[in-house]
Amino acid sequence: MVLSGWEAVFFWVFSIAAIFAGLLTVMARNTIHSALFLISSLVSVAALFILLHAEFLAGVQILVYVGGVMVLFLFVIMLVNVGEEESGREEIFNRPRQVTTSVIFCTLLVAGLIYALNVGYDGIQKRDAGTISQTGAARQTADQNLATSATGASKITKGTEWVGNGLYRFGALPFEVASVLLLVAIIGSVMLARTLKQEAAVDDVAPDVLQKEAINDPEIPKIQAAE
Amino acid sequence: MSLFMLKIFTPAYILLFQEVNDGRMALVWEKAKHPDLSKFLIIGALLFIIGVAGVLTRRNIIVIFMSIELILNAANLNFIAMSRYLQETGSVNAVAGQIFAVFVIVVAAAEAAIGLGIVIALYRNKETIWVDEIDILKW
Repeated sequence: MVLSGWEAVFFWVFSIAAIFAGLLTVMARNTIHSALFLISSLVSVAALFILLHAEFLAGVQILVYVGGVMVLFLFVIMLVNVGEEESGREEIFNRPRQVTTSVIFCTLLVAGLIYALNVGYDGIQKRDAGTISQTGAARQTADQNLATSATGASKITKGTEWVGNGLYRFGALPFEVASVLLLVAIIGSVMLARTLKQEAAVDDVAPDVLQKEAINDPEIPKIQAAE
Repeated sequence: MSLFMLKIFTPAYILLFQEVNDGRMALVWEKAKHPDLSKFLIIGALLFIIGVAGVLTRRNIIVIFMSIELILNAANLNFIAMSRYLQETGSVNAVAGQIFAVFVIVVAAAEAAIGLGIVIALYRNKETIWVDEIDILKW
């Protein structure tokens, strides 16, 4: 897998964009800016997925992360808006000693990781060089035999078909478990986020707790009276 | 001026691409023109480290959640890069990486929903989103 020409140019553009946007996500003072930088980092990584011929995953990344998760983040930021952070009155990082220690250890970790990745990649390249040159010709003919699209300008790849086949053949049980997980997440987040008033309105609170809370909150007796 | 810039940036290149034995820019440039699997893995590692640094240093709990999303995304990048590499070698398990990435995205979405629900409940009770002020379990 060696990119060349325009693919290499796009690789460098999007990878540098992803890393800078990631850095700014961590360093931005305003939380909304953080979220927007995270969105641009996710979009750049989606572009890298397209360079890796994973078009389906790139689409899922844009739809689920940018369209779903980040909108959720932005809503929660608006709900728990804190003014001190934006006006520069509060410190956004932990105490300096903690920050120094974690930055030193992260630098060590990144140096070790890059060294290990280079050594390991040389190793697997040496191991797989024969297989790659063998399958290269077969892959090229397979790529040429792909169906052309309606405009005739590009070819229809089989990546999504492979993912779907693999998902239903080898990942059918995890797929079903994932649906249960999402159901649990929906019910759990609704349970966590609703207020005592909303719980009282659907008669879901013990009466003695409600009487105790009614002293602090004048709205609760009204809800009880409405029932 | 350009020689001065070269002297400054060459050590960075050496650190990034491990060209310790022959520190010539030409070879680095040749490698940069043809990025391979290891470059994708390095980008994934850098994104991961940025996420870890965010989790360790920030005080805002929402930014900590966003850093966790960054970490999961870096893991996805690694999965898909390895999946592409296995496609080249003609392995039968080539799609496994992409399937795993789908599940990572599902779990990340569920985690974000639950985590943000907890943040809202926490803000309602404690009126703060600074993690160093949420210390009721500390003794």
